[in-house]
Amino acid sequence: MRIKVAGTGLTKFGELWNKDLLDLALEASVEAINDSRLTIHQIDAVFVANMIYGKVSGQDHLGALIASTLGIKGASFRIEGACASGGLAVHLAIQSLLAGTYKNILVVGAEKMTDSSATEIATALMGAGSQDERRAGLTFPALYALMAKAHMQKFGTTRNHMASVAIKNHYHASLNEKAQYPFEISEEKVLESPVISSPFTLFDASPITDGAGAVVLSSDSTAPGVFITGSAVATDTVDLASRKSLLEIAATKEASQKALKQAAVEIKDINVAEVHDCFTIAEILAMEDLGFCPKGMGGEFVYKGHTRLGSKLPINTSGGLKACGHPVAATGVKQIIEIAHQLQKRAGKRQVDNANIGLTHNVGGSGATVVVHVLQI
Amino acid sequence: MSTPASIWRQHKKLSSYLNKIGRLLVWTKIHVAPSGFEHQTPYLVGIVQFANGEKKPLQIVDCVEENLKINQKVVTVIRKIGKAKSEDVIEYGLKVKPI
Repeated sequence: MRIKVAGTGLTKFGELWNKDLLDLALEASVEAINDSRLTIHQIDAVFVANMIYGKVSGQDHLGALIASTLGIKGASFRIEGACASGGLAVHLAIQSLLAGTYKNILVVGAEKMTDSSATEIATALMGAGSQDERRAGLTFPALYALMAKAHMQKFGTTRNHMASVAIKNHYHASLNEKAQYPFEISEEKVLESPVISSPFTLFDASPITDGAGAVVLSSDSTAPGVFITGSAVATDTVDLASRKSLLEIAATKEASQKALKQAAVEIKDINVAEVHDCFTIAEILAMEDLGFCPKGMGGEFVYKGHTRLGSKLPINTSGGLKACGHPVAATGVKQIIEIAHQLQKRAGKRQVDNANIGLTHNVGGSGATVVVHVLQI
Repeated sequence: MSTPASIWRQHKKLSSYLNKIGRLLVWTKIHVAPSGFEHQTPYLVGIVQFANGEKKPLQIVDCVEENLKINQKVVTVIRKIGKAKSEDVIEYGLKVKPI
């Protein structure tokens, strides 16, 4: 598989009072199309990733809305897979390019979350959970807190281990002008912030964010840009309790193994990765389930600094979901953009030396949908 | 979102889960709740495994967290779920209490 990421566009992430969803989607899309050096008329299809905008605003039909506003009359779609919507849209666009149906596709992930109250957003996001989980009064922080408690019980993972994920990702975000929280935080700040769902405090969680990311994907291998050489999706039960184990996200293993096989590379070949750190434990689980470290050692692996910029394997150089922000359906697209920029040496102050092979890992719900991509220069 | 019809369907299944004994695998105390549960904060929710191997997420009631332990024996009880608005059907469902 050799699909080109021919152009990228990314808005600032944050609480963007003066912009609505359409403003954000158009800003990222126009930037991506200009970056690709294609004209609007060369874009055959638009794949829009969005999870909650219809619920909180009443506006659906986003594929046609965004495509027509851009002046694109080809095919348009809206794709939803909870927080993995962005990764899923990229995956589906790749399949359409491989099938030969389209030659150049604009994929745009966009979300407008800060117009709603935290309770409204928490309720909307729980649409990605099961009916039993909603009846139990669970939230996404609580679902990941249950996984964190299980990990602590089994492997002795500590609150300091988890805090080190947030500290590292805030450091990376401090080097990223697009990040929602471009500043560093201390361990004390993480541990002493208010508890949201034990053992998590506020600083274990990714924020509520507005933002959009767009990429132009092309089957023309002579186009400028990096290649996507692996793209895979795996599925598990929506209900966390129904899974075989609380200690892993099995779909991460399955999707990553498939994507790496397609790309004909091994996990040890990866130089840089963007992983789905919606909560601090999620990055620890990702380190283990992707195979960067043995099962049970993820906390220690991050705590010892093996994934900080300057180490051998920088993880979440954008600041991750934690500190760059998490406009849910934009996240999977932003991950592709960050890795593409790293491989093209366009990452500025957070540039990873000798980055030739990168990986993105996008999770929907508590692990029911996982999308993994491998990118190469 | 629960409607009167969906609540009616759910209530029909409740009896098969009544008075079941299970063990508590893991739990969390929720301080920030989704809508309809704000009045209960903080409250405990855990994953309970029953004798047939089935696992379910359930609220834990009639206890203080300090007395809970891993693999705690619990029994299912019927309780009100969330807070119904004055004109809504009151939803009942399963929770567990320690034994």
